Amino acid sequence: MAAKNVLGIIFSNAYDEVIPQVTSHRTMGSVPFAGRYRLIDFQLSNMVNAGIPQVGILTNSNYRSLMDHIGNGKAWDLARKRDGLTILPPFNHPDTGVFKGKIDALFGSIGYISDSGKDYVLITDCNVVCDIDYDALLEFHIERNAEITLAYARNVKSQLASAMEYEVESYGRISEIRYADPFGDDSSNSLKMMVINRTLLERLLHEASLKRITDFEQLLSENCGNLRVYGYRHNGYAKVIEDLKSYYDANLDLLKPEVRRALFPADKPVYTKTSDKVPAVYGINSVVKNSLIADGCRIDGEVENSILFRGVTVSKGAKVKNSIIMQDTFISENAEVESVITDKDVSIGARKKLCGAENYPVYIGKGINI
Amino acid sequence: MARKQECIAMLLAGGQGSRLGILTKNIAKPAVPYGGKYRIIDFPLSNCVNSGIYTVGVLTQYQPLVLNDYIGNGQPWDLDRADGGVHILSPYQQIKGTEWYKGTANSIYQNIKFIERYDPEYVLILSGDHIYKMDYSKMLDYHKQNRADCTIAMIEVPWEEASRFGLMIVNPDGSISEFEEKPENPRSNKASMGIYIFNWKKLRQYLIDDEANENSGNDFGHDVIPAMHKAGERMFAYQFDGYWKDVGTIDSLWDSNLDLLNPKVDLDLDDDSWKIYSRSPVAPPHYVGENAKIENSMITEGCEIDGSIDFSVLFANVKVEEGANVKYSIIMPGTVIKKGATVQYSIVAENTVIEEGATVGRSPEEMENIEDWGVAVIGNGIKIGKDVKVAPKAMVDTDMGGEA
Repeated sequence: MAAKNVLGIIFSNAYDEVIPQVTSHRTMGSVPFAGRYRLIDFQLSNMVNAGIPQVGILTNSNYRSLMDHIGNGKAWDLARKRDGLTILPPFNHPDTGVFKGKIDALFGSIGYISDSGKDYVLITDCNVVCDIDYDALLEFHIERNAEITLAYARNVKSQLASAMEYEVESYGRISEIRYADPFGDDSSNSLKMMVINRTLLERLLHEASLKRITDFEQLLSENCGNLRVYGYRHNGYAKVIEDLKSYYDANLDLLKPEVRRALFPADKPVYTKTSDKVPAVYGINSVVKNSLIADGCRIDGEVENSILFRGVTVSKGAKVKNSIIMQDTFISENAEVESVITDKDVSIGARKKLCGAENYPVYIGKGINI
Repeated sequence: MARKQECIAMLLAGGQGSRLGILTKNIAKPAVPYGGKYRIIDFPLSNCVNSGIYTVGVLTQYQPLVLNDYIGNGQPWDLDRADGGVHILSPYQQIKGTEWYKGTANSIYQNIKFIERYDPEYVLILSGDHIYKMDYSKMLDYHKQNRADCTIAMIEVPWEEASRFGLMIVNPDGSISEFEEKPENPRSNKASMGIYIFNWKKLRQYLIDDEANENSGNDFGHDVIPAMHKAGERMFAYQFDGYWKDVGTIDSLWDSNLDLLNPKVDLDLDDDSWKIYSRSPVAPPHYVGENAKIENSMITEGCEIDGSIDFSVLFANVKVEEGANVKYSIIMPGTVIKKGATVQYSIVAENTVIEEGATVGRSPEEMENIEDWGVAVIGNGIKIGKDVKVAPKAMVDTDMGGEA
């Protein structure tokens, strides 16, 4: 029950720049994923499933779609009188301006953090898709009497410049935090999820502000030696989304039964905003193989190895292969798409053919008519 | 005291729906699943909200647990409101004793105090038995235009089926001249849809008089409406055109689900201007496997399909394994159909397991005697064992075939 003493903080904008196509008009948190979700749903659900009662979502820019998705937090049972969900838009502090980095963002919301009165703060990004057991992480943190506990995993190497790796000693103590070597051997890779004691977080933020440190990773790294920092290993599935290709792969990964079981365990649902669409309708002669299909789809053509979001139409004679087709895309008769990512409300004209490669999917922007 | 409302709705949801047999063994008829992700009651509730009626009393009596749980605080229909909203009204204990709802009219009589809290001009009476999309606000406008005391929604049914309905003979101005209850030789094909708008002050008096009448069955259709007609109150019929189906029998429930797959049927659930809301299951999109074959079907979230599906409606979290065949069937949430099993012309209720090689139902063409044919029904949580055969028209409410 320690989870009721935790404030969750989610960075919704972190790494927006790594998939600029998909995030040009939304935050990383509101990037559509797996047919009916947004990336932030996974972190929010992880928190709620662990029993964390209060969550603040830090936003920086392009957060309208996020606000539309989150609403008052009802879908996650976070619309509450006590605790609950708060969106924390940029706070134009004379000292900070619009956020320059995570430290600015947290410092701008320091009042919210200390008013929560929680003993622990769980801070995460939302570009790692996983079902992580925050209850176990918290238990580990308390049991080790840690001040900071960082989640890590093996075999989830990230190519991002800001990727971190840890030197984890026996008993879980972290002795070194460093930037990851993209060409190095497999190591303990940061999942960018951490629990920190609240009073310590407040102190570090004040210090960083005085020293003009803006890089959160640098702050952690500098303090690693003189604080009790531990590493919690996540053994389950985890996938980092760090460019268009990994976004594409992470979606198609869901066609594997073991990945679906890992991300959607029966006893830990992933919550999202409901849309009250009708069930998917399959017409005469529809052919669908190895695909994930959301409600509201209408399929009269052929679909193979693809993810169809809500409200997609695949007309007669049309073929969709190895593709991610986002909400309300319309694929006209006899059109063919292969290795394509279409954003929301795209329309592909009759008999048009579009083909990317499996290692380089073609992206079609929101609302474009072809 | 609540704020005054012009019109509130009272939804009669207490009936057992005994003609649905084992499907309503543990749940009230309005809670019976329909159309892949809905329950019957989603239709009147969504119609209310879409018509701008935000105060709804739901009268429950028979097996209310699932229904109460489903409605909850009304949030899926935007009926969790500070002002009005949805209210479950069950029979309650009173100083003069405790009474079950004796009939439809009596159930409203017992809730006069609830209605009066809102001091409405009009009361809309609905039932939870039908699939239809209707704008009640237009019916209310019609009621007001005619300065009616009671307006009854009416639909023209095929003449050959008319004798199954309560019929009305309607004057050219829309007023009702006569009622006929399921006559052998119908003189009209205008059937009552069981949807009424009353002026509340009038209805209140008739309910009190009806209660005092020891010979009354306390039913709207049999007692209150005829009494109002006899007294010469202004009664009008409001004509409805569109899809309307009573899903009170196994055959009609099966038909009405399959109607969703027929493009010629005028029932579009994918209509953003008139959404049907429901409490959505929390499940990922459905997965269709490498060897699956799906045609002419409706499939919803959480399903995993590796078998072949034709002319069927699958609800949330249904699993159909490789080599299994589902045809002309309605498969309710959480059911598993294992390898090589065949389910056709059937309704399979929630959380049922059909083991490998079992066959449920048959197609009418295969029957030697068509009289023996009918939709097979498997009840909630039942297990049909390996290679077991379930005959057409069967109603199975105990496990068949011990070991799996």
